[in-house]
Amino acid sequence: MRRLSSWLGRLTLVVLPVLFLVGCAETGTVSRAPNTLVRISERDFRIVVEPGRIPAGEVELVVRNQGPDTHELIMVRSNGSQQPPLRRDGLTVDEEALHEVGAVEGVNPPGVRRVRLHLAPGRYELFCNMAGHFMAGMHGELVVD
Amino acid sequence: MPRRADFRPFAARGRRPILAILLTFAVFSTLSVISSISATKRSQHRASVVEVAARQRTLAERYVKEILLARTGARVDPHYTASVLAQSARALLNGGTAPPVYGDDDETKLSAAKGAELRAQLEQEQRLVVDMTATGNALLSHGSVAAVPLTAHERLKLRDPILRLRVLAALTSNVSLNAARTLARSTDRNISQLIVLQTVLGAAGLLASLLLGWALMLATRRQTAHFRSLVTSSTDLVLVLGADGCRYVSRSVTEMVDRAEAELLGRGFEALLHSDDRAAVESAALHGSPPEIVFRVLNAAGEWRHLEAHVTDLRQERWVRGVVLNARDVTERIKLEEQLTHQAFHDNLTGLPNRALFRDRLDQALARAKRSRELVAVLLVDLDGFKQVNDSLGHDAGDRLLREVAQRFRHIVRESDTVARFGGDEFALLLEYVTQDDVFALARRLLDGVARPVVIAGRDVSLGASIGIVLDSGSGHSEELVRDADVAMYAAKDAGRNRYEIFCPEMAKKAGELLGIENELRLGLQRGEFSLHYQPEVELATNRIVGAEALLRWQSPTRGSVPPARFIPIAESTGLILQLGEFVLREACLQAAEWRRAGLVPDSFVTWVNVSARQLTGGTLGTVVREALDAASLPPSLLGLEVTETAVVEDGLAGERARAELKKLHGLGVRIAIDDFGTGFSSLGQLRHFPIDMIKVDGSFVQGTVDDPKDAAITAHLVNLAHALGLVAVAEGIESEGQLDSLQDFGCDLGQGFLFARPMPAEQINELLAAAGPELANPDSAVA
Repeated sequence: MRRLSSWLGRLTLVVLPVLFLVGCAETGTVSRAPNTLVRISERDFRIVVEPGRIPAGEVELVVRNQGPDTHELIMVRSNGSQQPPLRRDGLTVDEEALHEVGAVEGVNPPGVRRVRLHLAPGRYELFCNMAGHFMAGMHGELVVD
Repeated sequence: MPRRADFRPFAARGRRPILAILLTFAVFSTLSVISSISATKRSQHRASVVEVAARQRTLAERYVKEILLARTGARVDPHYTASVLAQSARALLNGGTAPPVYGDDDETKLSAAKGAELRAQLEQEQRLVVDMTATGNALLSHGSVAAVPLTAHERLKLRDPILRLRVLAALTSNVSLNAARTLARSTDRNISQLIVLQTVLGAAGLLASLLLGWALMLATRRQTAHFRSLVTSSTDLVLVLGADGCRYVSRSVTEMVDRAEAELLGRGFEALLHSDDRAAVESAALHGSPPEIVFRVLNAAGEWRHLEAHVTDLRQERWVRGVVLNARDVTERIKLEEQLTHQAFHDNLTGLPNRALFRDRLDQALARAKRSRELVAVLLVDLDGFKQVNDSLGHDAGDRLLREVAQRFRHIVRESDTVARFGGDEFALLLEYVTQDDVFALARRLLDGVARPVVIAGRDVSLGASIGIVLDSGSGHSEELVRDADVAMYAAKDAGRNRYEIFCPEMAKKAGELLGIENELRLGLQRGEFSLHYQPEVELATNRIVGAEALLRWQSPTRGSVPPARFIPIAESTGLILQLGEFVLREACLQAAEWRRAGLVPDSFVTWVNVSARQLTGGTLGTVVREALDAASLPPSLLGLEVTETAVVEDGLAGERARAELKKLHGLGVRIAIDDFGTGFSSLGQLRHFPIDMIKVDGSFVQGTVDDPKDAAITAHLVNLAHALGLVAVAEGIESEGQLDSLQDFGCDLGQGFLFARPMPAEQINELLAAAGPELANPDSAVA
């Protein structure tokens, strides 16, 4: 019993500071809450962005994959009406040639990912760059004022 | 009573926890194995599914290549690939057989896909395969690719038909790959679940086993504690012995010998054993037998403790490997037995051997004497005068005297001789390898030893002893020798006491005669051979009969008329005098009452009965007299008791008891006379204090009154003395007229003797009284 009490004592000494730090971190996140929430829905083979126009500043993107395939989301500055450059396979966008603003790696359906960004005013292209997905129509646009 | 409260130290407490532990292990192991097998089978199946799903990606790419090659005229079969793609997609979704790809692999049997995510992906794959193969077919047939309907929601805006086909192939490949990944993730989840399950099962099993093991340990500890407390609190002594010595001793053993356990273990215990018992204990330790042994152990106080042990051979018992002794300390019992044995063969007062041990030693001595032809001597010693010491100084003083005599005897004899006490004041000595002269010398030393005064209660007490000696060379029996020594001892007493006599056959003859008379006396009393004669007492002044003395007579059928002087001493010594005295009193009272009723005697006629010293001190005389008077309805004043002078004046308790008895009877009205007065040695002054009415002057003085001036003077003096004390004087043994004249001159009141009448049966007295007439009696002249 004495040994058990000793273990409980040590555990308390370790756990209490950790809980304190976690509590502080949560509090910090809440204090920097974004002004705008953008819901991005992905499904075979389209991307829906709501709202399509938002003010500049802190933005939280909520990416929901509705399947059935796995998808990702790449966000780049748009260069107007021009189609983004493709890689040599002719099936995927050459991300390295673009200025990527944010990305969500492969999300299995029905997964949801959140990403926070500070967006300056401008047009942004959002697309899934899995092989053939962009070509099959999985891209959308977000306008930041 | 609840079961838990039961004290069951021998219950198999460990069995349940052990069974529970085994059951727990069995359950958890079975669960673990089943879950592992199940998970393995699922994984095997999923591996097949993943393989097929992954193969779809390759097939989609291969299909595109084959379409392109077919357009160049190469010998390829894109339709077959399309068929495999389609069949595999169906099999993946709905279950079935996925076909082989040109011998690359075997057919793969698949079950229907489970899980919404996976099924959605596989349905999408199926749609994409359809779209892709339709596009491929359009390309081969040079039809419009753009017109091919798309079923998987693709939004293809491409004009290049080949790029269109490649995109569809990429989509198909992609969804196939993701379906395979979904399956792989599912397998990973299952493996994780299996790991968790196995961990939980293992932990639960371990925990349960630990708990049960703990319970088992507690139960074992409790049971061990029970047994330990049973063994340690038991007064029984438990030892475990082996070839290497003592292996275990219970606490009771250490307490008994008052030594530490370490001192006893190993060879320590053996060192404490009595040398006579060591072999028995060692044998028991080596062989496990005999079943019972008794041995002695030395405790720290140097005292030998006797142990009685039950031997149990547990050498083959795995957990003991030794011989167990369950012993009890029986020291007290053995001491008691020894004490009882000692008491059975020794006299408590003096510590000397008693009659039984003496007889035993005598038997052994006679057996030795028979072989060696040496003499054996038996001396029987009776202390003279001891009874007086006992009566006058009390029994404690008597006991001290006996102890002192015993001590002196022990110092006088040799170490090898036996001194025994037979009881009372009778001692016996057994001597071996002696001559007659040795024995006589020893007898003299014994007499000297007894004669040396002993200071008791502040008084010097000196005794004598009568010693009977018998010598034998082994031809006699112990019983005979003791009897002969007894005869010799009585001979010494008869010869004047304080001397020794050696046994001779004539003594035996005399003793035998005495013994014969004693037996005949007893029989005579039963057969009515005794009767009373009466001798009248006459008032000398008037010559009238005023009383009669009852005298006992014995008419033996074998010996004829036996004179009282012959049988009275024997009756006295044997105690028969008490029964005879009772007979005399009863008969005399009845006769006196008879005379009275017949009107033959005056109202004051006194019938006199002789009472012995033994009757006086017996304690029952008063009762006997009252019963005799009551039985005859005789007034106490008409009965007189004649007692001897010595009985009344005796010192000590006996004398006091006699005087007290007489005082009571005198108070009742019974007359008391001193018989044979003048022959004793009593202080005349003492007579004043005695409750007596009459003194009888002994006939020896009376008969000398005519011829011997001294006797005449004594008689006259005694008569005067009686008168001076206010007593009546009676002269016994008057045989002549001259004697009568003298007595009348001396003023003697009453007389008795042949001159008046001999003792005669009651019938003759009746005649005499009838002839004299009742008027002869003078009431006033009788005893007042």
